[in-house]
Amino acid sequence: MNEYVIRFSVRQRLEHVCVMLLFIVLGVTGLAQKFFAARWAQWTIAALGGIDRVRWCHREAGILFAAVAIAHLAVGMMLVISGRARPSIVPTRKDFRDAVIMMRYYLRLSDEQARFDRYDYRQKFEYWGLVLGSGLMIVTGFMLYLPVLATRFLPGEIIPAAQMAHSNEGLLAFLVVITWHVYNAHFSPDVFPFDVTIFTGKISAERMEKEHQLEYARMEGDAQQEHQTPPEIEQDRASAHG
Amino acid sequence: MVLAGLVTAAVTVQAVAAASDHPPSALCMACHGNPTFAAKLGDGEKLSLYVDGKQFAHSVHGGKLACTDCHSDITAVPHATKRFPNRHAVELAYYELCKQCHFPEYSRLLDGVHYAEISKGNQSAPTCVDCHGSHAVAPPARPRALISRTCAKCHTAIAAAYIQSVHGKALLEQDNHDVPVCTDCHHPHDNSNPLAASWHLGIPQLCARCHTNKEMMAKYGISTLVLTTYLSDFHGMTASLQRSEKRDRRELTATCTDCHGVHDIARIDGASSPVIKANLLTTCRRCHPGAGANFPSAWIGHYEPSPKHAPLVYAVKIFYMIFIPFVIGGLVLQILLHLWRVVVNR
Repeated sequence: MNEYVIRFSVRQRLEHVCVMLLFIVLGVTGLAQKFFAARWAQWTIAALGGIDRVRWCHREAGILFAAVAIAHLAVGMMLVISGRARPSIVPTRKDFRDAVIMMRYYLRLSDEQARFDRYDYRQKFEYWGLVLGSGLMIVTGFMLYLPVLATRFLPGEIIPAAQMAHSNEGLLAFLVVITWHVYNAHFSPDVFPFDVTIFTGKISAERMEKEHQLEYARMEGDAQQEHQTPPEIEQDRASAHG
Repeated sequence: MVLAGLVTAAVTVQAVAAASDHPPSALCMACHGNPTFAAKLGDGEKLSLYVDGKQFAHSVHGGKLACTDCHSDITAVPHATKRFPNRHAVELAYYELCKQCHFPEYSRLLDGVHYAEISKGNQSAPTCVDCHGSHAVAPPARPRALISRTCAKCHTAIAAAYIQSVHGKALLEQDNHDVPVCTDCHHPHDNSNPLAASWHLGIPQLCARCHTNKEMMAKYGISTLVLTTYLSDFHGMTASLQRSEKRDRRELTATCTDCHGVHDIARIDGASSPVIKANLLTTCRRCHPGAGANFPSAWIGHYEPSPKHAPLVYAVKIFYMIFIPFVIGGLVLQILLHLWRVVVNR
């Protein structure tokens, strides 16, 4: 029962902690600016030492966030290109099929559940939502930070449009995190009260088998491959790439 | 002998008191009715002691006050000679007389910048009589333009800018009673320091007193969205938050007057308007020195985004109005379905 496998590397865990902390700083200082007319926002801004300091924190955290995002994508792509990691986070046609299977399961149209590889379609959705959302936040954020520079190359109306997008995308990200992410990491009956895998890097073999069957099978296969390759696992592997 | 003196004094006081009913007192006017009656001040200036009886009778106090109601220290005629170093000292000696009746105005004065200057010993700081006059006190706002003329006696440069402004011209050329005179923005007695940060950051609310008045603005075809559109934008939000911090600061965000001008405020469609398209870049550059030709259009004017004004901003706004409920609704639905299936499985 105490068997576990290592799911996340130290780099991945560190990235998660960085993103989490920066997300909190950016969320607090950003939402307080978005809803500046509300009392809670004014209280927050005053508690943090005034609007100038709130803006400074927001911008510095934004710069760090951009750095983390760029480093993450650069390292990730490098690992995939050099063949040291599989592009397991890239969405495939199987993800759409899995989503349909799971929808049918939730609606009790069937009892069949999808079998997932390293990342299931929900995790991929959240990851790419974060990546694309971050891209938008970083680009619009720098436009708002340096409007004089931005309008040297772009039409002026891009600035208020960037402001509208940055403000709404930020709100969307906040709402996704407090509903979807908090549910999946804390309140989902599968992990309640706290899925610590992203912090410890460890996941129980039991959960692996249940939630990431295909990957688990492949890991088992790789372990046994040194001796012999069971044919049924090879099959799984083929379907995982299909 | 002493007794006789006392009796004489008593009789004199009585005579002065009796004269109260018919101001200005004939007794006082025996000397002060002489146009050449004057005294020499310490600094050599000649101070006229003449009181124009007719002028006083036509003043707001005419028929209401006697000489000694204000000059209550005069109890006998002839009275003792007083010595003053200069005209300001004369005013300082007498201006507190007004508070006997006008106490609210006096107490407000104590909070104003003019009083702060008086108490610092500024010789040119005004007292009551500098604005209202002494014996010829007239209603201060009749006609309304009189207020601006009164302030113009000292604030000449500002007055010159004001009479050229959209407000000043309407006042002087059309006797327009909607436009502000000096005291509509600057309280007449407890006028706060217009150079302070708190004043600067309060300007939007000050201008909004008229510029959000739908009835008044409709007459001139001016939008009443000016305040809300300003406040919802970067500068307005900054001004609101800086204002609530209540500390003095050097760098202040732009408020109405930084773009539109202060006393020289012009029509927005006039050739000299700082906010007309041809001049806008120059105006922006006062705070954003490196701004290029595209920069001014980053401010979409005092408009709400709409398909006509700032269509790109409007499109982004509409997109998120649909996208956010769609995404969050979908995710919440998936959570509920998941939970439901877990419950059903048990």
